[in-house]
Amino acid sequence: MTMDRRTVLGMGGAAAVGVLLAPGVQLIAAPPNETAAANAHRWAMLVDITKCNPACTACIDACRKENNIPLFGDPARDIHWIRKVEVQDKERQRPPFTLPVLCNHCEYPPCVHVCPTSASFVRKDGIVLVDEHRCIGCRYCMIACPYKARSLVYFPTKPPKDGNPQVPIRAKGVVEKCTFCVHRVDDGQPPACVETCQQSGHAAMMFGDLNDPQSEISQRVKTLRTETIRPDLGLKPHVHYQGL
Amino acid sequence: MISNYTAIEGQSFRYWILLGILGGFFLLGFGAFVYMEVYGHGVSNMNNQVVWGAPHVFAISLLVMASGALNLASMATVFAAKHYKQFRRFSAFLAIVLLAGGLTVLLLDLGRPDRLLLTMIHMNFRSMFTWNVFLYTGFIVLCFLYLWSMFEHEKYVKIAGSAAFAGRLILTTGTGSIFGVIHAREVFHSAITAPTFIAVSLTSGTSICLLLLVATFRYTGRDMDMRLIHGMRNMLTFFTLLVFYLFVVEKFTKYYSPAFYEVEGWILAGPYSGLYWGGVILLGLFAPLAILFNPRMSNKISGIMTAAFLSILGEFAFVAHVLIAGQAYPLQLFPGHEVSSLFLDGQSAVYSPSFVELLLGLGGVALAGILYLLGIRFFRLLPKKAVAPEDWHPWNP
Repeated sequence: MTMDRRTVLGMGGAAAVGVLLAPGVQLIAAPPNETAAANAHRWAMLVDITKCNPACTACIDACRKENNIPLFGDPARDIHWIRKVEVQDKERQRPPFTLPVLCNHCEYPPCVHVCPTSASFVRKDGIVLVDEHRCIGCRYCMIACPYKARSLVYFPTKPPKDGNPQVPIRAKGVVEKCTFCVHRVDDGQPPACVETCQQSGHAAMMFGDLNDPQSEISQRVKTLRTETIRPDLGLKPHVHYQGL
Repeated sequence: MISNYTAIEGQSFRYWILLGILGGFFLLGFGAFVYMEVYGHGVSNMNNQVVWGAPHVFAISLLVMASGALNLASMATVFAAKHYKQFRRFSAFLAIVLLAGGLTVLLLDLGRPDRLLLTMIHMNFRSMFTWNVFLYTGFIVLCFLYLWSMFEHEKYVKIAGSAAFAGRLILTTGTGSIFGVIHAREVFHSAITAPTFIAVSLTSGTSICLLLLVATFRYTGRDMDMRLIHGMRNMLTFFTLLVFYLFVVEKFTKYYSPAFYEVEGWILAGPYSGLYWGGVILLGLFAPLAILFNPRMSNKISGIMTAAFLSILGEFAFVAHVLIAGQAYPLQLFPGHEVSSLFLDGQSAVYSPSFVELLLGLGGVALAGILYLLGIRFFRLLPKKAVAPEDWHPWNP
């Protein structure tokens, strides 16, 4: 038995053309990606690594609690929004030092560039976020991020008993990362890691608005020698380090 | 020169057994997808460093092979090698089914495959992935047009075939560029990544055509002029040499820049060097070349088939090496420094495919196989007898 090849080829071709054209049609109808954030602010973080105590994990603990981040017990699959990294030059010329590493909320974020569904986006105030309802879990953003700042949710998760109701519980199969505690920032508070670092007495972390010339972070970034991680990549990260 | 095209009868016990085996693998692959969908990607061996694992190796290998499978048709339509005209339908159809198999694996490995529609309604045109969605669907459209013109309107064959040929080059450039454009990954980032993918598509595509043509003709009792096989063997030889050339150029370029010494040393002697030397270089390059340049072996069907099979293994090893080693090489937060953390910074990632991932990948291969078997059963894709002109003699080593 042979099918009418004209019909089958025609149907196959029409289906393929439909698949090709449908996105374009839908694209015209898609609403613009709008946020309520104002571009008057440009939020950034400054970390003074000379004050960062290698044994202190207060920022990590506060971040986990604030953002309901679970620990699965598998270092390769645990979700890390912020982590302490120990650095040692290969010639052993300087003593080793530690610093917290998190999403750098780049001005030109490669994660946003590569995300096929625009689930990764930059708010007008510079905070890079993931719309977890739009993320399809392709993980291309994880490949593109030079800071290893993103984690896939590898396992189903449950809301913690004493969880923070302001932060949605993560869904399995999507990518997530540090939000600069956007819910707190929108309420006029600093991110949980910064607040805890200040309270712990080390005061190694600072958060503020680079667009405000009177803000302390703005003054320090202007007057002190601060650096960013991998400036050679041209991404203009907004986590600055002092004493690097 | 060309005899009539016919569909196969597809009534033999062997046909149904083969269909049953492939169907079984497809169901296992679908089961693996459901398992991963219910329990999360934690059931795989992928992690936050190697986020693309075995399913992607299978998917991208099939996509690259699909592009190369069209080459036989292009030889006839674009390069006027008329003796391959009789394989145009087979070649274009095979490209579609391989693409379908690869795309299925790619889609089923998404963390949220239920949101597939989002890729069509919220597009980011700066993303290479978005462009690839258009390249894959566009290539399928072009192959369908090409097939339609071959079946119905021969006068459009040249334009449709030329468009499909251009489409396949752009498609593989897009696939290679998924990696080549990523600045943060030293193993990926290279202008030569996309051309290398094109060259690898030529070897693997020619190889799969060789294997399937010989097997299909043999098991359906059809005749094939051995000179046609020798012609394809010659294509495979020169395509393999092209891959070799691009590999040499890449290493030459990288070793001219001290910034790449560390990563290149890691590729050649690090934890994935076995895959590179054993899979990519030995199995995929030197072993096929040794066979193809051996006058005794390269004139025998068994020798040519072995070289073709090794080329396909080499293609999988190449894609696996690019993907896995490319991700396993630690991100250089502070080049020239040693870094460590609880998130395994500074460490080469450890990855080996899990059973679930292998089943999902093999499911895609099985789907392509099923579609091929159904295609030759329901469409007149192959000639009853494949012959070459009397005065045509391909070069012999």
